[in-house]
Amino acid sequence: MAKLITAARQTKQEKEPALKGTLASVFLLGFFVIFSWVSVYFLFLHRL
Amino acid sequence: MAQPLEKVDRRDAKLALAHLFVAFAALALGGFAGLLQTLVRSGKFELPAGISYYTILTTHGVLLGLVLTTFFIIGFQFAAVSRTTGALSDGSRRLGWIGFWMMTSGTACTAFFILTGQASVLYTFYAPLQAHAGFYIGLALVVVGSWVSGFAMFAHYARWRKTHRGQVSPLLAFMSVTNMVLWLVCSLGVAATVVFQLIPWSLGLTDRVNVLLSRTLFWYFGHPLVYFWLLPAYMVWYAVIPKVIGGKMFSDSLARLAFILFLLFSIPVGFHHQLLEPGISPFWKYVQVVLTFMVIIPSLMTAFAMFATFESYGRSQGATGLFGWLRKLPWSDARFFAPFVGMLFFIPAGTGGIINASHQLNQVVHNTIWVTGHFHLTVATTVVLTFFGASYWLIPHLTGRVMTKAMNRLAIIQTIVWAVGMTFMSGSMHFAGLLGAPRRSAFSTYSNSPQALEWIPYQIAQAVGGTILFIGIILILVIVINLAFFAPKGETEFPVAEAAAPYERAALALENWKLWIGLVVALILIAYTVPIIDIIQNAPPGSKGYKLW
Ligand code: HEM
Ligand SMILES: [Cu+2]
Repeated sequence: MAKLITAARQTKQEKEPALKGTLASVFLLGFFVIFSWVSVYFLFLHRL
Repeated sequence: MAQPLEKVDRRDAKLALAHLFVAFAALALGGFAGLLQTLVRSGKFELPAGISYYTILTTHGVLLGLVLTTFFIIGFQFAAVSRTTGALSDGSRRLGWIGFWMMTSGTACTAFFILTGQASVLYTFYAPLQAHAGFYIGLALVVVGSWVSGFAMFAHYARWRKTHRGQVSPLLAFMSVTNMVLWLVCSLGVAATVVFQLIPWSLGLTDRVNVLLSRTLFWYFGHPLVYFWLLPAYMVWYAVIPKVIGGKMFSDSLARLAFILFLLFSIPVGFHHQLLEPGISPFWKYVQVVLTFMVIIPSLMTAFAMFATFESYGRSQGATGLFGWLRKLPWSDARFFAPFVGMLFFIPAGTGGIINASHQLNQVVHNTIWVTGHFHLTVATTVVLTFFGASYWLIPHLTGRVMTKAMNRLAIIQTIVWAVGMTFMSGSMHFAGLLGAPRRSAFSTYSNSPQALEWIPYQIAQAVGGTILFIGIILILVIVINLAFFAPKGETEFPVAEAAAPYERAALALENWKLWIGLVVALILIAYTVPIIDIIQNAPPGSKGYKLW
């Protein structure tokens, strides 16, 4: 039983892909959102 | 589970195709109106024969925002449901046709009153602008017709569940049902204002209308409306695109959870369109803005899932490096390329949405043409390009034809033309909006005020973009007509992706509709009960109707 579970885990781990590019992409996306938001926020402050 | 080509039942295919034809007819007419708008606003062109700018703008907004979207979505979902849960029963199919004819006759009625200049109230039909009663009656028919079709899908899904006890329903069917639940719950609001306020008032049965109440009911509908447009695009992204590229869905449960979160958080948030409206307390605006921001969670989940799907596929094909997987994607396949460009455009589109929903920043952009720039990215690019991409396999699948290489190449060009045109048009709308240029306004120099003169170069850029976009409309119509009537006979696949991992038990819990609909209702009651009582009890005298065109 225990063996079965580790075996299942192992195949799962083998299939787990390395998603470094995804991590980088979501970070880039997040920075774009924050940069744009802050730009308009400064425009708002400037016009107060 | 490798099977030969699974096909949509021929009779269901007819029903789906009927919807798609109306959708593309609306695109043709509405797209032409859009071209005229950009030309008028450039200041270099005037409409002939005294036609009002606002008549054209109403035509454009109603045909593209309401008709194209609703018809495409219902047609697509009928096909998706039939493909994944089997042919519709005769009863469900009959309901589908009843819904189709109600929607089509309603559209014809509304279009008649718009085109004859009796309903230039724009697609939001805000009171106290008052259209001919036929405009509202036609819209009510469209909405009720869509409910009939929704019930046909619910009945079909319920039947499937009864014969497949304990099984997780196919992802596309689950998503279609989620989207129709969303639609049903939200369109009750617009039906309420149309039937109880606007129709009696436009018929002269009542004199005055509670303006704030009707706007609030409209936006109770109007924000979920944009998710009703977006979710079918997400269906394609989650459940079709992985198959198109030859990979697997990153996670089935993640997709379902995202849809449930959209269902929960896209309704109790309409006040983010009314942030600058007097008569709603700041507290309730704040509550709804917080709920609005919850939608960022499933949106970012979707972005993550897409990147992960693409990267997993690319790495399985031997890609290396941080972004090497990008090179493995099938760039020359229009079924992938058009939706992918739609996804890219959703990055600035979603960002703009977060800006719009932030109360202070809303003051910078409210009612400026920035907002128009924003939703031409969301609906008119992300959603529409995904629908185009879906049409490239859906229409030939339904008509028993195949897309030729030449048409595929034309579809790639169409996508590029749309992206370039929209970058010009929407980009200049965003910048002009930041400089204060109003939306929904024909050309004016406002007595040569220096501020208004600043906008003119941007308005010319909008006309350049609009002209390029109109070429895009011609191209897509050529492709669609070819796929429907002239492409060579043959079999085209309706691609449905498989999940990378087997179904998790969590997926079953996500089909607990009693729980989710209960939560939806609870959130709506929390967000709307007190402010609506306030809007009714403390209302100023109602307004009589105005026809300002
Ligand atoms: C040829 C392509 C298109 C062009 C040139 C175009 C152009 C325009 C322009 C210039 C406006 C705003 C005018 C104003 O506020 O005064 C507008 C509004 C609008 N457009 Fe488009 N558009 C196009 C395609 C689309 C598509 C595909 C959709 C939807 C799927 C769409 C939906 C809308 C909506 C809902 C409005 C708002 C109308 C209103 O404010 O009442 N457009 N369009
Ligand atoms: Cu909204």
